[in-house]
Amino acid sequence: MRKRTLPLAVLATAALGLTACAGGGSGSGDVSADGQTLTVWIMQGTNPDSEAFFKEVGSAFKKETGATLKVEYVQWADAHDRFVTSIAGNTTPDVAETGTTWTAEFADAGALAPIGDYVDKAGLKDDLVKGLADSGTYDGELYGMPWYAGVRSIVYRTDVFEELGLKAPTTWQEIIDAGTAIKAAKPDMIPFPVPGDAEFTAYPWVWGAGGEVSELDGDTWKSGLASDDSRKGIQFWTDLATKYDLSSSGATTWKETDVLDNFVQDKVAMAIMGSWTPATIVQKNPELEGKFAAIPIPGEDGGMSPSVLGGSHLSMFNTSKNKDLAFQFIEMMTTGKFASEWAEQTGYFPGQTSLLSDSTESDDPLVKPFAEQFVDGGASLPVTPKFGAVQAKKTTNAMIQAILSGSKSVDQATTDAAKEMDDIMNGK
Amino acid sequence: MTTHAPAPTAARRPAEGPGTDRSTKPQVPMHRKASGRKIRSNTVKAILVTLLLVFTLFPAYWMLSSAFDAQASSGGQSFFPKELSFTNFESVLTDGGFAVFLRNSAIVAGATVLISAAVALLASVAVARFRFKFRTAVLLMILVVQMVPLEALVIPLFVQIRDLQLLNTLLGLIIVYVALALPFGIWMLRGFVAAVPVELEEAAFLDGASWWRMFRSIMLPLVAPGLVATSVFSFITAWNEFIFAMTLLGGSTENYTVAIGLKQFFGLNSNDWGSVMAASTIITIPVMIFFILVQRRLSGGLVSGAVKG
Amino acid sequence: MSTLTPPTVTREAPASRVAGGPSPKRLRLLMRTRPWLLLAPALLILAVLLLWPLIRVVLFSLQDYGLREIVSGDTNFNGGANYAEVFADPTLWTVVLPNTVFFAAAAVIGTVVLGTLVALLMANLGSFWRTIVGSAIMVAWAMPAVTGTYVWVWIFDADRGIVNQTLMGLGLMDEPFNWFTNQFTFYGIALLNVIHHGFPFVAITVLAGLLGVSKEMLEAAEMDGAGAFRRFFQITFPSLRQVFSVVIILSTIWDFKVFAQIYLMPGGSGSNREVLNLGVWSYVESFGQNRYGFGSAIAVLLTLVLLGITIVYIRALMKEDEL
Repeated sequence: MRKRTLPLAVLATAALGLTACAGGGSGSGDVSADGQTLTVWIMQGTNPDSEAFFKEVGSAFKKETGATLKVEYVQWADAHDRFVTSIAGNTTPDVAETGTTWTAEFADAGALAPIGDYVDKAGLKDDLVKGLADSGTYDGELYGMPWYAGVRSIVYRTDVFEELGLKAPTTWQEIIDAGTAIKAAKPDMIPFPVPGDAEFTAYPWVWGAGGEVSELDGDTWKSGLASDDSRKGIQFWTDLATKYDLSSSGATTWKETDVLDNFVQDKVAMAIMGSWTPATIVQKNPELEGKFAAIPIPGEDGGMSPSVLGGSHLSMFNTSKNKDLAFQFIEMMTTGKFASEWAEQTGYFPGQTSLLSDSTESDDPLVKPFAEQFVDGGASLPVTPKFGAVQAKKTTNAMIQAILSGSKSVDQATTDAAKEMDDIMNGK
Repeated sequence: MTTHAPAPTAARRPAEGPGTDRSTKPQVPMHRKASGRKIRSNTVKAILVTLLLVFTLFPAYWMLSSAFDAQASSGGQSFFPKELSFTNFESVLTDGGFAVFLRNSAIVAGATVLISAAVALLASVAVARFRFKFRTAVLLMILVVQMVPLEALVIPLFVQIRDLQLLNTLLGLIIVYVALALPFGIWMLRGFVAAVPVELEEAAFLDGASWWRMFRSIMLPLVAPGLVATSVFSFITAWNEFIFAMTLLGGSTENYTVAIGLKQFFGLNSNDWGSVMAASTIITIPVMIFFILVQRRLSGGLVSGAVKG
Repeated sequence: MSTLTPPTVTREAPASRVAGGPSPKRLRLLMRTRPWLLLAPALLILAVLLLWPLIRVVLFSLQDYGLREIVSGDTNFNGGANYAEVFADPTLWTVVLPNTVFFAAAAVIGTVVLGTLVALLMANLGSFWRTIVGSAIMVAWAMPAVTGTYVWVWIFDADRGIVNQTLMGLGLMDEPFNWFTNQFTFYGIALLNVIHHGFPFVAITVLAGLLGVSKEMLEAAEMDGAGAFRRFFQITFPSLRQVFSVVIILSTIWDFKVFAQIYLMPGGSGSNREVLNLGVWSYVESFGQNRYGFGSAIAVLLTLVLLGITIVYIRALMKEDEL
């Protein structure tokens, strides 16, 4: 017996010694985590090739840290429930992809670990896309590492515009003019649908007119939806449907997915859609390839109306046993090679401004306008779980829908919405 | 004289029962009147059946039309498939992982049916044959499980199943589904059990039959229709339930059921209608097969020999 | 012996006893414990699985229980504040409850009537056609509720749905009408959806009831000289009454709790405040906002209401000895 164990012991010590030396990898955080596993939750569907992608990431991660990567794919539809039950049942992962509206929510609940120090140490602080960094910051601390995001701008049918000799609109009035021309010439197309169940399509007009959604006044949140400026923006937006008849009756209850479905079916001339939609449009209807382009959402008299940056962070859970390792993974995913690859494969923009130069300098009519909007016209909604509650209750959606269906005037609807928003955000 | 033909029950046309007094009816040639009435009733039945099939299958038609339409994702609403093909089914079964999901769902549903039938039968015998204190209370309490909104139970049940160490297992799910199916099973079967004449049972015992033999040849055939209804209900409950499946199976994708599998096609920004409809079609078929297999038992049960005692 | 009434349920000590059987005292003990033994598996499953979670739901309902409490594991009792908030919300009384109650009533009536008619039809078909019809019904029942809802939404889609296209083609409609913005048409469509999905349950159950009526008793009665009506009302109908009671109770419970079929309809997820029902409202106000305590309070209240309704049904539908 003794003879056998000795060589084994020697081997074991040698192995340990070797791995101890191999721990210093190329990452900025030297972590040796041989034999450990890092559990990560990623949303399913964003990247059609995610399995291949994460296999690559997994091997690179193992090489760098010695730890195994375990990726679990979560469906968007149930992600929130799964997060909550896992927190309740203590089965949380180390790192997870959190939608930009959830990061603040989980941070407020104390479920996430702050990563500001890690970011500073890695020298990444100044390279983060502002809109994403803002939505990942709660109570002065950074919790969500910007990973990828998209932005909503106007997508329009270039072939239709060309056919009718129209130029892409650059002011609000030009939108009306173009829409009216299209309506006259193409009766079975919807010039500019105004969806009643898509709050992110309404905010640009509020901001573009100079209004605010909700602002912190000392300790109280005050909604700006009922201000004159906001009302002007909302009036313009809903007038497209109610006054100029550029929308359709069905659109009164549309979500963004319905807008996309109808665009794909050749029924829509202009619409507010996300930077992630062009790939889906072409995939669903290949005939539309090359026939549409994007423009930043025009300001009232030129310029740009701000639009929400929607995307995901990578967040670290407080329950993670090896936070250094977790951040190393986060860094690997959100910077450098893997960040660009992910952005390319998914059609989203990376969370690092240094990686954005490719997109901002591109010629692609489906990339550059979105990139412009992303960099110069990005905005974020109030970063507080209380606004999440407002969104759950669909305050803005209900407001727009009531105006579109004629049950409330703009004044009445905005007053009601502002009051409801204040009530919710200041805790009833 | 036992008849096995699915004779119309008294409920439908009392006037035609053999017990009717015909002497007061007008003297029309019997066979002509009878066949005229028969043709009319058959036509009425045919019309009703057609209407029923149209109403029942109309939505299913849309589902099928999109499932077989390779271009369904561009908004599945055309009456005829724009491009007839099997691609949706192929992708659902391979990339969509439905082959595995079907297997899991079959296991879960099958186990639920068997266990809930057995447990419900025992419980219904207790409730139907014995009079004991709290009987009404027990019957009501069993129903409570159907009354509580599931969303409220998600977190506590998750913690409970975790404590029982049954998370991420099909067994945990099966037990939950049995619990969901029991109320209907017990309530349904007790009526059937109660309808079995006690005298028949005792006659069998007198003849020296063991309890099991009595059960198999007397009780089982008489409660068979109830068992069929209960099995179909349990099957569908286990087959289509989503909330608990998602909650309890969490990350173990290899254990996912078809209900979870269906949800994956509803993306954050766009829905893959072709896959949704193909998956839905795939989900619907096994239930039909299950029904066809068990519905023969519905024609109510006299096995020859049971009565002769 | 002529038994035109359903057999009484009580089981007394057996009239005949196998020689050498248990003593009377032992038998009585057996009689008293046996029902509980038979009930044991069912009660065990329900208790182990649900007793503790139900207690926790009640405990949550008395707390301001949100994400923070879930993370920290702390409790945060606020007495009956959640319950008070439920009752104080005007939307509950003006929109949610009326929608829910009327919808449930219409759905239960529709499902039960249609299901019973279908069961009667099926009972009168030959076995081949009965299988065909039965399988078709299974399709309606088995089609996932999510899928069915989307299909009905498509059918009534304002711009491309078959209903509007037909109506416009026939000249009965000029501008496409959005069926989902109006409260009544919205619920009309929801009713179609729910009845379509729900009547098969009633049909199969009632059919089982119809076919399960003891043929022997019917024949025995016939031989005793009972007329057809008498046979129906004294034998068939009483056993159907038990079937109807369970069908109506369960349908009421389910139709009260309808959630997905409303939530997935255009405007049904909260953007159309006029079509809120209990399921959607409670979700939007509670779980959607991470307010688990509030949601638990609503759940407790709903359970009590449904329990009350069930008791009323049982009193009305069933005689004491049948229960």
